[in-house]
Order: sequence, then C-alpha cells, then structure tokens
Amino acid sequence: MNYTNQIQEIAAKLFAEGKIDVFVGYRMNGFDDNQVPVLITGPQDVSKLVFTDKSVFNLVNYLKTDHTRKKRVGLVVKGCDSRALNLMLTEKQVKRENLYVVGICCEGVVDDAGQKMQNCLECIVPEAVVYDELLGTAGKAETRAYKVNVDIAALAEKPLTERAAYFEEVFENCIRCNACRHSCPLCYCAKCCIDQETAALYNGANTTSAAFHALMTWSLHLAGRCVDCRNCEKACPSHLPLHLLHKQNESVIYENFQEHLAGVIPDDRGAFYKYSLKDPDDFIM
Amino acid sequence: MEAAIKDQLVSIEKPELVAPPDWEPVIMGILCNWCSYAGSDLTGTSRIQYPPNIRIIRVPCSSRVDPWFLIKSLQTTADGVLVSGCHPGDCHYISGNYFARRRFLVTKKLLNFVGFHENRIQFSWVSAAEGPKFAKVVNKVTEDIKKLGPLHLYKKENFEKK
Repeated sequence: MNYTNQIQEIAAKLFAEGKIDVFVGYRMNGFDDNQVPVLITGPQDVSKLVFTDKSVFNLVNYLKTDHTRKKRVGLVVKGCDSRALNLMLTEKQVKRENLYVVGICCEGVVDDAGQKMQNCLECIVPEAVVYDELLGTAGKAETRAYKVNVDIAALAEKPLTERAAYFEEVFENCIRCNACRHSCPLCYCAKCCIDQETAALYNGANTTSAAFHALMTWSLHLAGRCVDCRNCEKACPSHLPLHLLHKQNESVIYENFQEHLAGVIPDDRGAFYKYSLKDPDDFIM
Repeated sequence: MEAAIKDQLVSIEKPELVAPPDWEPVIMGILCNWCSYAGSDLTGTSRIQYPPNIRIIRVPCSSRVDPWFLIKSLQTTADGVLVSGCHPGDCHYISGNYFARRRFLVTKKLLNFVGFHENRIQFSWVSAAEGPKFAKVVNKVTEDIKKLGPLHLYKKENFEKK
C-alpha cells in the first residue's frame, strides 16, 4: 500500500486550483521509518507528504483544532477514519462543503514492530465511506463478517474476580494525562464533563478510583460511536489496553441492537439515539 | 491496591469474613417520577414493609439516568444500584424508557466486564399501581447484595492519600 505519489499530485492540484487552505496528511518523522501527521498550508511543502502502511494516525482528529476550523481542508482518510468523519458530519462538527476528502481503500496499517495492527486484522470496513476521490480498489466483501474481539472473548471467559484484578491493574497504571481524550476525533467537547466534576480537586488526583471514573465515563460516552481507529491506544503513554472498554460496548451493541458498525451509514447517530420495541428486556425485573 | 482486590475476592465467596456483623448494605435507588416513585409511595401508604437500605433519588424519567450516575454511586458510597422506571409503553414521555433500556444493557455489561458482580447493578419496571411489586424488588435486591458483601472495588476512600 503506497499512495505517496497520488496524494502529492492531488494536494498540488488542489493548492493550484485554490480549493483548499490546509492539507492534512502524513510525513516521515525524520529519524526512523515511522510517520507523523502534518498540516501543509502551501504548494511548497507538498513533497513532504507520504502514505504507506505506516500511516497509522487518524487525521480526522485534526479537524477539531484551530488550524483547520472554518478553513477549507484537504484530508486523507482510511476506512476507520472515514467512519469517524461520517459521525462528525452527522453531529454537525464540520461542514462537508469545506472538505476535500481523499479516501483510501486500506489494506491495514502496521505498528512499530512491523506487525499488522489488531484492529486491521478484524476490520470489516476497510474502504473509505466518505470521499471525493477514492484511491486503490475495493477488496472482496464476502470475507468480512463481524467477529467478537479476541481479547474480549478471552477475558469474558475468566472468572469475575480475575477480571476485577486485571482491570484494577489497568486503571492503576493510568496517569490521567487525558491523551486518550485529546487524541479521539469524537471527543470534541470544549468542556469535558469529566473535568466539570464538583469534586474536581479530588478527581484531578491520580488515583485508581479517579481513573476508573474517568475512563468508564469516557468509554460510555463513546459507546455506539467509537470507530475502533485506536488513536487513543497509540497516544496512551502507559500503553493501556483502552480498546477493551470500547470493543466490549461495541460487541454488546452489535449483538443486541444493530447489525452495522458506527459511522458506516450517513446520518446515523449511533445506537443510543434510536430504539426498537424488540430490544432485550430479560435483564430487567 | 492489592488489599482492595483481596477484599473483593473474599467478599464474593465468604461474606462473613469481611462484613462486620452489624453491616447493612447501602443501595442507591434511582426511580422515575411518574411510575416507580409513585409506586414506592403506594408501598408506603399501603403499609407494606421493605428494607430501609435503599436510598431513593427521584428523576423525571428513567432516560434521565446517565450511566455516570451508576459509576459515581458505586465509586462513592453505594454497595449496589437499583434503577426503576415505567413499563415499556407506559412512559410519560412516550419513548424515554426505550432509550434508557439500551443504555442500561450496555452499562450493566460493561460494569460486569470490569469486575462488578451483575447483581450489584439491577433494573426493574414498576408502575404506580404496583406497590407490592416494589417491596418485592427492594427485598430481592437487598438480599442479593447482602450475599455479595460490602463493595470495595474502586471505592474513593480506599485510594485517598493520607
């Protein structure tokens, strides 16, 4: 998967035609073969742009910064990123007419060790769902059936006390830097409700209890909206398995409420914004 | 916090080891204004006894219940939570409890996934005419939580720096 030349051509063309003010893409980080996001404001920097299977970050996150707000933006999106973009459009955070979206038919990205990321192995929507221009060819659809995440399945089989001990360790290692929140494209609130806690002095403290409160609230706010791009995990300095919380919610929602993932259908706000009379009721007395 | 995990381990299997003999659970009862709160009122006016362990909070509708309320209750004082609303189809706001039902399932499964026993988070539909049912529900929830013992997982005071 290498679309470097096509993306450079598209960006140069867009700047020449004056269609965009900013182009958001990837560049090499300058010391090894990993990449970082870059915001380009003119045709002179277009040669910096690259796109390979090391382009791991979700660039939709940069649509909530001041560098792109109220500007015309060119943007590269993979399958998962485009679902996040779809949700941001549905929730009226960005205007479609201000965007020029270069969609990618993604073949999966790799982590630092060169292994394919776990979410890419399980991915069932690799092609961009929102785009002005699509690069690559769509793959075969029949191999893509939703499977419950392997980590979730393994943990669900363990006894309750073991799960409690495991998650206690997870929350204990959280340093409350909120990088997960800032790196999430769907966490765009200017004031976060977790910070508005009355006991802000206490909950600002770095304790396991406060981390439990913050991460659980955060994951429930993203339930039915999380697109599994794993930006939060890439940003986490403690390498917490944050996908466990999101994938757990996603699997419950997929099994019980809807047969599609978040952000796939335009103008679909997620599972919590609609209901069915046939929703499961057996857990209620 | 090894101690907290040990307590949780013990409290699930042998409640008498951690629970003091006079220990009584604290249950957060979040009731909707139009059905369950009126139902609990009827229980009282009908002179039906139910355990005093439940602390009732009145909310306009069961869909007012943010999952955050449950997290916050379990993190502070409560040993268990009971959320109660109108029967499906009877919601004063027509569809509030249908939206709430989806959220309850996801919240319950997530809390169970991170290590809370499923009996600590309970839901019920109680209408304004079901006074005896409300007493039965509170009895059952209190019994369940007495069996599980005090909740130590993620309690604020266990983590306060002294």
